[in-house]
Amino acid sequence: MTLLLLIFAYIIIVNLPGLIKRKEWKELAAFSLLYVIAFALGLMYVLDIPIPSPMEGLQHFFVDILGIEYPQG
Amino acid sequence: MSIEKGKISSQQLFFLIAGFVEASALLIDFTVGITEQQTWMVILAGLIITTPFVLSYVALAKSFPGMNLVQINDMVYGRFLGKVISLYYIFFFSMTLSFNIRDVGELYITFLMQDTPFIFFLIVFTATCAYAVTKGIEVLARISHLILVTGFFAITSTFILLIDQMDFSNFLPFFELPLIRIFQGIHIVSSIPFGETVVFLMIMGCMNKTEHAVKNTFFGLLIGALSLLFVAVRNTAVLGRTQTIWTSTSFQSIRLINIGTVLTRMDFVIGIAQTILIFFKCSIFLYVLVVAVSQLFGLKSYVPLVLPLAAIEVIIAATVFQSPVDHATITQNAGIIYSVPLVFVFPPLALLIAKIRGLPKVERGKGT
Repeated sequence: MTLLLLIFAYIIIVNLPGLIKRKEWKELAAFSLLYVIAFALGLMYVLDIPIPSPMEGLQHFFVDILGIEYPQG
Repeated sequence: MSIEKGKISSQQLFFLIAGFVEASALLIDFTVGITEQQTWMVILAGLIITTPFVLSYVALAKSFPGMNLVQINDMVYGRFLGKVISLYYIFFFSMTLSFNIRDVGELYITFLMQDTPFIFFLIVFTATCAYAVTKGIEVLARISHLILVTGFFAITSTFILLIDQMDFSNFLPFFELPLIRIFQGIHIVSSIPFGETVVFLMIMGCMNKTEHAVKNTFFGLLIGALSLLFVAVRNTAVLGRTQTIWTSTSFQSIRLINIGTVLTRMDFVIGIAQTILIFFKCSIFLYVLVVAVSQLFGLKSYVPLVLPLAAIEVIIAATVFQSPVDHATITQNAGIIYSVPLVFVFPPLALLIAKIRGLPKVERGKGT
C-alpha cells in the first residue's frame, strides 16, 4: 500500500505542476481520468479485489459463445 | 495535426521494424508446442503471408503523409466509425503491451530470480519503458540499431556455440502434423511477430522521407524473420522433440552450451538480450498506445499520459492471466483471433477506400 501511494504521489508531482502552469486543461482532464483509473486498479490489486481480465472475457466470447477455437493437443 | 513533432528516417524505420520483430523471439514458444519440428516452416509461411499486408501498411502511410493511424481512421471511416476502430486498436495495443510486460516478469520469475515478487519486475520494467517513451520516438529510433545488433549477436553466437550439439535429423519427418495445427501455427506467427508491425502505422507518419519506406520495411521484416528462423532452427536442432515439454525452449537449449567446461550456463546471455529486446518492443508499444490515446482525446502533448497509462499496464499485466499455461492457452486462441481484423482487414480496407474516394486529396480540397 505504501509503495502504491508513493508511486502515485510521484506521478502527480511529476505531471500536475507543469500542466497547471502551462494551463493545459484538456491534458489535465485526460491525465486525471487515466490517473483515477490507474489508482483504482492499483488499489484493487493491493487489496486483493479480483480484477476482471479482458482476455478471459474474450476467450469466453470466442470459445464458449461463438464456438471459434483451435482444437487442443 | 500530428501529436509527434520528432522525425525519423526510413533507414531508422528498417532498424525499428527489424528489432521489433526480433524481440518476439521468445514468443516462438507459443508456436513450438503446436508445430513442433516444423516451426521453421511455419515462420517462413507466416512471413510470406504477412508481407503483402505489412507492405499495405506502408502504402497506407505513404498515402496519408504525416498522419498516424487514428487520424487515418477518422479520415477514411468517418469520425464515429473511425473512433470506434481506433478504440479497438487502442485495446489491441494495451493488451499486447501488457502481455509483453508479463513475458518479462515470467521470464525473470521462472528462470533468473525466483524469490523476487512478480509485481516488482513489472513496475521496474514498465517504468524504464515509460522513461524511454517520454524521450520521444526519435530517441527510440536512434538506439534501434544497437538493439538489433545486440539481439542478433546473442542469437548468432549461441547458434554457433551450439553447432556441435545440433542434430539435423530432428527436423524429420516433414509434413507429419495435421493441417489444422500448421494453420494455427501460421496464424500465431502471422499475428504475433509479424502482424504486430501494424503498430508502425502510428509511427510511419513521423518519417521525414518516405521514398525508401517500402524497401526498408520489407528488409526490416526479413531480418526480423531471419532472427526468428535462427532461433527456431537452433532450438529444434538441439532439443528435437523434447522442445515441446519446456516452458522456454531458448533457455533450455542455451543451458546445454558447454565449451570445454569453461563456457557454460550461458542462459544469462539470452536473459540479458531478451530483456533488452522486449524493452525495445514494449517501449514502442507504450509509445504507440500513449500517442493513440492522446490523439483520440485531441491533446497537444502525449507526455502527461505516459505514467498513468504505464501504471494501468502494470496492473493489467499482473492480472490478465492466472498462470503461464493460461497465458499460452488464451494467446493461442482468443489472443490471435481478436486481432485478425486489426492486422489483416482494416489497413488494406482503408487503403482501398482511400483509393476509391481519392483520399486524402478530396478532404484537403475541402480545407479540412
